[in-house]
Amino acid sequence: MQDWVEKYRPKSLADIIGNKDCLRRMIEWARDWKPGVPPLLLYGKPGVGKTSSAYALANDMNWEVVELNASDQRTKGIIERVAGATATTMSLLGSQRKLLLLDEADNLHGTADMGGARAIIGVIKSSQQPIILIANDKYGVAKEIKALCELLQFRALQARSIVPHLKYLCSAENKTCNDNALMQIAESAGGDMRAAVNMLFAAGSGADTVSEESVSTAAKDQRSSIFELVGGILRGGADRRLMEMSYDLSDTPDTVEQWVEGALPQIKNPRDRTEAYGYLAQSDLYLGRTYLRQYYTLWKYATALMVIGTAAAAGGQGVTGNIMPPARWNRMAGAKKKKLVRQSVLIKAAFAYHMPENTLRDEYLKAFGMIADKDPLSFAKELSLDGDELDYIIDDKVRSAEVMKEIKREEKEQEKKEKAAQKAAEKARKSEKTVRIQDLAKATKTEKPEQPEKPDLNEPAESSVSIGSAASKSADEPENSEKVGKSAEKKPSETQSTLFSF
Amino acid sequence: MGENNTIWIEKYRPATLNDVVGQREIVERLKNYVGAQSLPHLLFTGTAGIGKTTSAVALAREFFGENWQVNFRELNASDERGIDVVRNQIKQFARTAPIGNATFKILFLDEADALTNDAQSALRRTMENYAHTCRFILSCNYSSKIIDPIQSRCAIYRFKPLDREAITEELKRIAKNEGLTISEAAMDAIIYVAQGDMRKAINALQGAAIINADISEDMIYEITSTAKPDEILELLHIILKGNFEAAENTLNELTVKRGIAPNELINQFYRTLVNDTTLDRRLKVELISHLGEADFRISEGADQNIQMEALMARCVLSAVNHGSTK
Repeated sequence: MQDWVEKYRPKSLADIIGNKDCLRRMIEWARDWKPGVPPLLLYGKPGVGKTSSAYALANDMNWEVVELNASDQRTKGIIERVAGATATTMSLLGSQRKLLLLDEADNLHGTADMGGARAIIGVIKSSQQPIILIANDKYGVAKEIKALCELLQFRALQARSIVPHLKYLCSAENKTCNDNALMQIAESAGGDMRAAVNMLFAAGSGADTVSEESVSTAAKDQRSSIFELVGGILRGGADRRLMEMSYDLSDTPDTVEQWVEGALPQIKNPRDRTEAYGYLAQSDLYLGRTYLRQYYTLWKYATALMVIGTAAAAGGQGVTGNIMPPARWNRMAGAKKKKLVRQSVLIKAAFAYHMPENTLRDEYLKAFGMIADKDPLSFAKELSLDGDELDYIIDDKVRSAEVMKEIKREEKEQEKKEKAAQKAAEKARKSEKTVRIQDLAKATKTEKPEQPEKPDLNEPAESSVSIGSAASKSADEPENSEKVGKSAEKKPSETQSTLFSF
Repeated sequence: MGENNTIWIEKYRPATLNDVVGQREIVERLKNYVGAQSLPHLLFTGTAGIGKTTSAVALAREFFGENWQVNFRELNASDERGIDVVRNQIKQFARTAPIGNATFKILFLDEADALTNDAQSALRRTMENYAHTCRFILSCNYSSKIIDPIQSRCAIYRFKPLDREAITEELKRIAKNEGLTISEAAMDAIIYVAQGDMRKAINALQGAAIINADISEDMIYEITSTAKPDEILELLHIILKGNFEAAENTLNELTVKRGIAPNELINQFYRTLVNDTTLDRRLKVELISHLGEADFRISEGADQNIQMEALMARCVLSAVNHGSTK
């Protein structure tokens, strides 16, 4: 017997809960898909329906699915072998397409996946088949990949849209259910449908009813209230009680620390407040040591200091304001992005200048910033930076945006030139005897594997022939093949028009 | 029950879910899975020695009966961490068909929080791709170290530290079987030493039983190299009186003569302070902070004796400054 997540995985897009705008766009994309249409990049938190939607879409369109994910060794060679074969060849069944699904596109970091991002770019550019990429974190996806995709964000699901689905599952499984229990599940799932279904399965398997009691043990992770703890600290509750509350929380001490931090301004007496911050700072020192040394024994000192110490300083003054989630979390979301941006800058620069990332960060980044400031355009082009990355280096949003505009403009100009070359090439080709482009491309591929780096204006006939093969080799030369790939859209020989409709 | 085991923690490891003590609600849920012959992926969280592995093994036995050993595999992630473990070992086990009447296998991954993030990412899709042949039970101390996508794929069970009743019940059962008598005070001692960890409790009992079938309080403290709570309280009182020489003597008594490790002493001192209800809060926090500092320094390789003496000196000074010596 299957677990419910698999058993009730939606078969059709019509069965997917939430994110209707994304689903609509996916349908349009699939219906109008033809080679050259950019792939979709679906991103969002776990359990909101990204993978399910992709499979449901393929099912609706009667497409085969070929999937690659991070648990397969994603070296360049493997991606090209598996995906390349799928992407560039037609299915044996004739008009039927294959959907290439690249899951966890944000997990390409690390040496284990060396070259993986580049291979994916190559596959995207040369694909004759539709591709969908999936990621949790938009910022974890290489910018070069993002630039080639259409981005669709899947949002967390509302509890009230999760409940009806849970109800449906209960009736399908012949189980009676308590509405409060389902609401409780939906809320503690935090917008994650898969977690909700898992919890329901845990609460409901082997029993005829899903009751509130059975839900409480199956919940995603029970949390006793952090509000109680922080309130207790300000009110000066008994030490032991406070410590027990802190043991009971599912949050780690560093999270608790931030809640406490948020509450300390409620202590108005400057002396007491300073004392409280003193204890918190000391506590923080222990947290730092814990993580730095991976010596978890020290956690308890951090907890004791932040709980008993701050309670001592608060002197039982009571709660005078709202206890709120740490304001820093908003800031941290920004910091997380910044960290990712910094990381991608470091990777690019370390590669380009042949030095370790640490050395680069500690000793060279500042100087590079000053150098880049003089001529941001060349610098950005040299490392192929995007706006965020350039901004990180020169710390100037406006100028970075201008530079990006300039780069785009140059690219467009280049593209125009290419198109002109393409047209000229087409004319020349039409004047020749009719040889099918694809056959010719194949022929040339085997006969002369070396292709000119760029389509040359002076040799129109040659360059048009080179398109097909250059595109399939494009992994090694992404710069060049992007243009080629784009011009390939216009080729009249793509005859596989989509016949599907909804 | 493995009759041939000399080590009691194996000998008395519960073979069925019904025998698992102290986690009643969780056990009920797990039994339901067996009844329904279905199982989602599970994530067990909680500290050591409270029944995570035992429950997983018992669950496998009840699912598979005779064939449980071929359809169940236990891997410890902290021994064999890294992405290649997931890619090779786990996949190897997960992909092959179950043996006998079983419809799936169970892979128990202990200390899953030791897996790197990369390895966890790889694990998450493996879990889905092989769900038709293999269910995963992950076990960890802190669920916060498991990446969200995996938490989303599992039903999460939070095991609680075992309470006094649970440990008492189990130890009495063992004592009966082994022909031991455990005094009330000895039981208290075991519970104090074990801190909710059944494995520690049983091990302490077996250690003491080698000395004598009449288990006494002193034997437990001796065999576990633990100071008695009263001795720690005594040390605290000496410190509060501001008597450094006496504190140093008591310290030597405990560490040199009794062979109690400084780490353990610090930990016990901490427990005593946290549970204390009489001390001034500020003094208490200051003493805890001194303990933490000493613990940290010793963990960094500093000399234990010097740090412990310095700790005593610092504690005495704090006591003097807070006027507790009057």
